[in-house]
Amino acid sequence: MPAAYPLPSDLSPATVTNTASLLRIIALALISGAAIASRLFAVINFESIIHEFDPWFNYRATKVLASQGFYEFWNWFDPTAWYPLGRVVGGTIYPGLMATSGVIYNLLHALNLPVDIRNICVLLAPGFSALTAWATYMFTKELKDESAGLLAAAFIGIVPGYISRSVAGSYDNEAIAIFLLMFTFYAWIKALKQGSAFWGTVAAVFYFYMVAAWGGYAFITNMIPLHALVLLLMGRFTGRLYVAYSSWYAIGTLSSMQVPFVGFQPIRTSEHMAALGVFGLLQIVAFAQLVRAHVSSKQFQELLFTAVISLGLIGFFGIVGLTYKGWIAPWTGRFYSLWDTGYAKKYIPIIASVSEHQPTAWPSFFMDLHFLIFLFPAGVVMCFRTLRDEHVFVIIYAVVASYFAGVMVRLMLTLTPVVCVSAAVALSSLMDTYLDPTEPNAEDDTSDSSSTHPTGTTPTTTPATPATNKKAKKNKEKEKEKESTGGVLGELVSNVASSAVAAKSAPTAEKGVFGIDTRLIVLLNSLGLLLFFVVHCTWATSNAYSSPSVVLSSTGSDGSKNLIDDFREAYHWLRQNTAEDAVVMSWWDYGYQIAGMADRPTLVDNNTWNNTHIATVGKAMASPEDIAYPILRKHDVSYVLIIFGGLIGYSGDDINKFLWMVRIAQGVWPDEIQEPNYFNRGEYRVDSEAAPAMRDSLMYKMSYYRFAELFGGQQPVDRVRGQHVPIQGPTLDYLEEAYTSENWIVRIYEVKKDDVLGRDLKIANAFNQGKKRKRTKPVSRRKAISA
Amino acid sequence: MAGPKSSSKSSPTSSEISVAVSTLWKSYIDQTPDRLKFIDAFLAFIVLSGVLQFAYCVLVTNFPFNAFLAGFASSVGQFVLTASLRAQVNPENKSEFKEVSPERAFADFALGSIVLHFFVFNFLG
Amino acid sequence: MRLLSSALVTLLALTKLSFASSSSGDSVLVVLDPSLDRENYSIFFGGLEKRGYSLTFRAPKDASPAITDYGVPNYDHVILFAPETKSYAQDITPQSLVGLLSENTNLLIALSPKQTPLTSLATEFSLILPPPDTPLISHHPARSEPQTTIPVPVSSSSPILTPGIPPVWFTGAPHALGSTPMLVPILRAPAESFAADSTSDADSDALVSASEKGGEGLWAGSQMGLVTGFQTNVNSRVVFAGGVKMFSDEYARKELPSGEAPGNALFVKDVAAWVFQEKMKLRIDAVDHHRVGESSAPEMYTTNDEIVYTAHISAYDSRTSTWKPYSGIDDLQLEFTMLDPHIRTSLPVVAGSPGTYQVQFRAPDRHGVFKFVLNWKRKGYSYLESSTTVPVVPPRHDQYPRFLSAAWPYYAGAISTSVGFFLFSALWLAGDVKGERKKGSKAE
Repeated sequence: MPAAYPLPSDLSPATVTNTASLLRIIALALISGAAIASRLFAVINFESIIHEFDPWFNYRATKVLASQGFYEFWNWFDPTAWYPLGRVVGGTIYPGLMATSGVIYNLLHALNLPVDIRNICVLLAPGFSALTAWATYMFTKELKDESAGLLAAAFIGIVPGYISRSVAGSYDNEAIAIFLLMFTFYAWIKALKQGSAFWGTVAAVFYFYMVAAWGGYAFITNMIPLHALVLLLMGRFTGRLYVAYSSWYAIGTLSSMQVPFVGFQPIRTSEHMAALGVFGLLQIVAFAQLVRAHVSSKQFQELLFTAVISLGLIGFFGIVGLTYKGWIAPWTGRFYSLWDTGYAKKYIPIIASVSEHQPTAWPSFFMDLHFLIFLFPAGVVMCFRTLRDEHVFVIIYAVVASYFAGVMVRLMLTLTPVVCVSAAVALSSLMDTYLDPTEPNAEDDTSDSSSTHPTGTTPTTTPATPATNKKAKKNKEKEKEKESTGGVLGELVSNVASSAVAAKSAPTAEKGVFGIDTRLIVLLNSLGLLLFFVVHCTWATSNAYSSPSVVLSSTGSDGSKNLIDDFREAYHWLRQNTAEDAVVMSWWDYGYQIAGMADRPTLVDNNTWNNTHIATVGKAMASPEDIAYPILRKHDVSYVLIIFGGLIGYSGDDINKFLWMVRIAQGVWPDEIQEPNYFNRGEYRVDSEAAPAMRDSLMYKMSYYRFAELFGGQQPVDRVRGQHVPIQGPTLDYLEEAYTSENWIVRIYEVKKDDVLGRDLKIANAFNQGKKRKRTKPVSRRKAISA
Repeated sequence: MAGPKSSSKSSPTSSEISVAVSTLWKSYIDQTPDRLKFIDAFLAFIVLSGVLQFAYCVLVTNFPFNAFLAGFASSVGQFVLTASLRAQVNPENKSEFKEVSPERAFADFALGSIVLHFFVFNFLG
Repeated sequence: MRLLSSALVTLLALTKLSFASSSSGDSVLVVLDPSLDRENYSIFFGGLEKRGYSLTFRAPKDASPAITDYGVPNYDHVILFAPETKSYAQDITPQSLVGLLSENTNLLIALSPKQTPLTSLATEFSLILPPPDTPLISHHPARSEPQTTIPVPVSSSSPILTPGIPPVWFTGAPHALGSTPMLVPILRAPAESFAADSTSDADSDALVSASEKGGEGLWAGSQMGLVTGFQTNVNSRVVFAGGVKMFSDEYARKELPSGEAPGNALFVKDVAAWVFQEKMKLRIDAVDHHRVGESSAPEMYTTNDEIVYTAHISAYDSRTSTWKPYSGIDDLQLEFTMLDPHIRTSLPVVAGSPGTYQVQFRAPDRHGVFKFVLNWKRKGYSYLESSTTVPVVPPRHDQYPRFLSAAWPYYAGAISTSVGFFLFSALWLAGDVKGERKKGSKAE
């Protein structure tokens, strides 16, 4: 076997192995560093601040946990959320995230490191992304080898699809959940490979952690049984499968029921039934195997198999029957919407109204995964080539996650790890082939090639040739200087690949690569791709995913950067200028932020558990003032907060969300609120052509109240909708403007108290403006006389 | 272990069943090492305990549902863990469990059981 | 600031309690039209001064003394005796008068058949005035006085008035009462009276025809009010009198057709006492709530807690100028609401401790933010309103019953499994050693 390029031959195998493991550790450390560093864009560009919406609640909950201890947190009833219903926080959250930060916080304080809880929360996601990279490395290593593992770790470390949910400050459940997901899968694969109850238990414990941390645990709950079932159907039942699955399921299910929010769901809802069914099936199959071991009659085996099948059927029908009886809850709406993308829009507008629940647009696949999306199918095909149990797992994972990612933007997150893994497998196979210095030689026979091999090791017995390793490492070092991902490029030629090449040297020799030029072309190409990937990731991270959305930034015409801090300005105003128990009504998107930053009770928030309550807010916003006012008073609302982007062109404002409010309200009060009334001949307009219901609605009035005054007599322009709103703006009788932020993004209105004379506020307002009232006549004289 | 299971089988004729069962039983008695029989005795005990709890739940009350789940899950969990141990130490399965020696298997089993019982007692009250 | 100053005013009022009979202060501004002779109202004004009020007089067009300075009222009470004045100084407008009411100043306003700014003010109080220049006319009883000077019998049903007041002389315009429950009728027109647009009797035919059309445009009968009070949401009071003359000495001294002395003096005294917050003045001193068996209010209640709610109510006694516990309310209700009342119960007075109303009830089996709501509104009395917010939370995780007897089989099962596990492990390990020995011996 001639070498395409010379390799140093004076290295002992031990040195090579040691250096290799050292370099692996360095590479992993560098990958972790890169993963953490690239997530800090948000902190550098803005500041150390909690992002978006849900994280604000998590942050608030963590503060409670850190200051009052776990038991108080467990029993925490939040009277300020969902006023006046309140929220039993302890029983309605996944406490894993808060518990994690709480533990870190207490640990650091025990070490006399007085770190602010906010900084822990902000930096938790980047920290865990490093762990995710490590878990992915371990997972991929099981699949192929260390080099693929390092590649996968590098990919997951900087891929935008994962960064989008884990930048610094994005203190959300997903921040730790992806690590737990990967590690649970790793432990599962490990348990399956070894048939070890220990790894099964580890998988169960991490599964428990995952259940405590993220609602997406249902993904694991169904992935592992699916994998087990597929293996069973492929005739790959082994004792190992039995041990791994049984120990995982028995401990995992019991432990998952410890989380109050999950409760008895694992045995009561349909989402979890697949796991139970597979568990039962495995028991039966295992027993059948045992019996078969003792009895060798063929006919008997057949009998057993019919028994197995009939038992399986009985179990299935039993579950269906229980579902009908109501003992097992049928699938929830969110689950249905995974199968029928139109379902949510029809029946549960509140789910459909969330932008993350929309189907994914195809450019976002490229945006989030870049060239990995092209390597991904190749990696899956590679898995088919060496179809061990774990490869089956990756294939199933790939298929299922691809489907889900297509249905919901949010589930792109679960697809990302498998894309990284299979892309790494594909790329590392490519590298293996093209970095392998041995050249195929049709003329030379096996002995020839082995003798030309620099180290003289026999390929058939020693799969990993030290020389190859060395060379690869050199490459690696060079590339590491260039870029962080490149660091893994030339990682060890894998055991599997080289055994595939070397062990079957005679047949593969014909399929190898000649010369150094072809190698260079291919390698430089892939190097270029990796470089572009890094550039793209950096760009996407810094520009698209690092905005806290609490603080906005805009770029001036001269390229200077302006920060738009209206949200905090307005929330701070609320905190400073209103009574502590003043209830603030806003659309639910802002509930957590108001609670977190302004510390005021809210009617609805991002934990959208009560559709009716949200619909009530929607109705109040969509109704004319005189209908909305009693609703506001009934709920003790003191202030109404809306987001208005018309002045500076902030498109995520409430007028654009308004149709969802109408739809949600319509779902509850179909007689009073009708979506078509808000359209003028099928068009959604805010200008002078706006539909009457639209113009009368509280939301419209609050948005454009006094808007025209800004334009000094000119026709005012809404910069989001690009429409001219009427010069004669709307008037308000039941509310009065309390505060409008600098760029008019946040407008706060105070709800007027009852008139001191008990008049209708509209009349009282007219009186105050000095308007003459129509002369009234005594009412119902006739009755008065007769009475 | 063999006792309750034979009932789950259905076969065309009664003679075949009895033949099959007796063959099975004989083969079990003859071929199973003592240690495995010991495990099987433990398994039988757990099954008995689980069946009793289930019967109590169905016939009397399932009111402290968490207690029932904890009790029943402890039986089921212990059963599968023990069954796993049985599979791992069974000399016939040596080929399948290359990386799990009997000692390792027992350590795994003990660890899994301790974790299991931790959760059981946490859930019981 | 406003709060502070009003508190100051109240404080001042409290310090002067020894000589003021009003619960809200003793400074009165009298806006008196120059056409009215102050001496003619000496009985009324003198009576006020005797009761401890300090009166300040000013004409409607005078700029000073101002009613308010920087939005803060300068007087506790304002008497507007300018029924025919068409134009006022800047500071007296219908809007500013309503503003005074919301700042807890009380108003006594005299109207007249003339159209004045006050006419539109009365409309805001849902008093409906007849067209201009239609005074109240009555031909009964037969008397020597003109038909617009009417002796009006006083109904004794109103708690505002001292029982048994003889009829009072009245001249002026009637008004119809709107639907607002805040109106407190004090004096109603006699049944046989009506409003007509002429002082002569010439248009009475028009009235008859109007009545035949079913009462359209008819201003007649005892549904008309002559003196009507109004209590605002902030418990300030205002009285509209249809004419100013009923306050005069002249009417107070004029003999009734029956030869008796009229009730005017007593009547206007009672009216002034009510409007200046001397009578029927109640307040909630304090409310407290706690669990049964505890004494202080908890931060939050648990569902199904037994809760004790207590309200202390006192009434103002103008004779001693003090607040005294008041047990006279027998229809007080307490509501425990979250959006809707979950519990509505009567709040009875506690026998033996005056002014204390107490009830014990069980919190609903529903968590959320509840309010204790007291809402007692009766005509003429100060409104009693109180709302206290408390969260009702589900039991803590360790407050549920644990270790139920029904669950003993499960406990036994779990424990037996654990014990079994330990026994098994012990035996297994022992067996292992033995087995190894056996193996070892075999190997040897």
